[in-house]
Amino acid sequence: MSNMDKKILFSMSAAPFWHCGRTVRGNSIHTVIALALVLIMAFWHWGLPVLGVVALSCFVSMLTEEFWNKVMGRSSTLTDGTAFVSGMLLACLLPATAPYWLVIIGAFCAITFGKMAFGGYGANPVCTVVVGWAMIFVSFPIYMDPNAMLLQTDFIDPLVRLKYFGPANVEASIHFSELLLGKQIGALGAAQNLGIILGGIYLLARGVIRLEIVVSFVFGVLFLGGILNMVNPELYANPVYHILTGSTLFCAFFLATEFSGAPDRPLGMILYGLCGGMLVIIIRTYGIYTDGAPFAVMLINLLSPYFDMIQPKPFGVKQ
Amino acid sequence: MSFFKEFTKGLWNELPPFRLLLGLCPVLAITKNANNGLGMGLAVLFVLVLSNMIVSLVRDIIPKKVRIACFIIIAATLVVAVELLMQAYAYPLYQQLGIFVPLIVVNCIILGRAEAFAAKNPVYLSIADGLGMGIGFTLSLTFLGSVREILGAGSIFGYSLFGESFEPFHIMVEAPGAFICLGVILGFMNYLSKVQNRRRGLDKKNVGSACSVCGGCTACSRGNASA
Repeated sequence: MSNMDKKILFSMSAAPFWHCGRTVRGNSIHTVIALALVLIMAFWHWGLPVLGVVALSCFVSMLTEEFWNKVMGRSSTLTDGTAFVSGMLLACLLPATAPYWLVIIGAFCAITFGKMAFGGYGANPVCTVVVGWAMIFVSFPIYMDPNAMLLQTDFIDPLVRLKYFGPANVEASIHFSELLLGKQIGALGAAQNLGIILGGIYLLARGVIRLEIVVSFVFGVLFLGGILNMVNPELYANPVYHILTGSTLFCAFFLATEFSGAPDRPLGMILYGLCGGMLVIIIRTYGIYTDGAPFAVMLINLLSPYFDMIQPKPFGVKQ
Repeated sequence: MSFFKEFTKGLWNELPPFRLLLGLCPVLAITKNANNGLGMGLAVLFVLVLSNMIVSLVRDIIPKKVRIACFIIIAATLVVAVELLMQAYAYPLYQQLGIFVPLIVVNCIILGRAEAFAAKNPVYLSIADGLGMGIGFTLSLTFLGSVREILGAGSIFGYSLFGESFEPFHIMVEAPGAFICLGVILGFMNYLSKVQNRRRGLDKKNVGSACSVCGGCTACSRGNASA
């Protein structure tokens, strides 16, 4: 009753007052639609285990987010869908036959150390999914290696062959079209290149991800890979193989474009993407890992505050 | 009573690695397992107690201007002693700790306690302070080492805990695991003191009680005029 007696003289909400109608929830829904294409292709190749991994990963991500919100005494952020999207993206980086505990640990670490430890969506300096992926990848390398986990298949792992048998072997045994259709051993979703490209184009058309990052990331791979290929074609593969294998395209479209980790001006975005693409080649050629694309994303995410310093301009200012 | 107070402050309220955030170099680098943590902690305990005692004994003789150099020399002498003792009686541990034994010289805790406490207080209080801080440091390192060893290798002090089927969470014994563990422990300690403060009806924002050691707030607000 006491509240009713108080007269509200002037009620006002905080700025901004104009909205363009785009919400975090909307972006999440578009991302889920794009990922659905990837998952359909994954289901076509690997069957039912895919659904189990994806469902478990999404469920654990959402449960973890809700748990930390409860602990921190905040209102639930489940309805914005970012936890669901993180779960789907993480599942796409796992092998189709990943054991259940691996998925649970990965999803828990991704949300806890990649997102909630920094204060939730938008506050994380490094892409949520990559943090979780890196933690389980470093801890359980055998279970994260698709080549060791997917034994009952006729496909081959182009990256392992590239690393240990040289480019000539890969070029003889697998064709671009097979790589495009995902007929290769790789992570569950990250190997389905056609689905990723179609989904990515949908997201670009909807304005969820930025063209600058995607194009410059792919160009970075082509650029450095092309130079190495020109120097010695017998030692370094055609860069198109680098784009269509492992998780390069997946990182370019879905991981490097996460808002909180990416710069926010076009020139910064272009440099950010170029660095990422070149790092992929450097890690694959000179590093110990066969596929280092998510590590490249992690590194450029950490560099992104410096890219933000290029041409800084307040939002909305006309020059 | 004062002796007891100076002794206990290092065990919880001013716990060196987790409250004062001092001596983080060995905390992060050598806590791959509980054994190394305990060994390093004991070495620091030895150096800290003796350096506090000696510094307190000579505090009136040393001129103010050269005191830091003198503290370092005292600490370095003791560290060489520890190093030789470890080589003689605990050689495997010495090999495990490697460069971090000589690095005790530049450990912030040694110099920090000498400068902030031992140079101003009588001998028996300085020994109490060194003992408390050293034991707190040892326990913290052993705790962090145990957590990392249990998660990252499935064992504690070298004894296997979970059997064959356990898949160790390997990142915990790597370098990133140290940062993750330390961060989680610090967060938990801050959360705990927040809850304690709320229960006592104190200000929520004043998290640790370790502020008093630094004295930076009062010094800064007064300005440098008095110094």
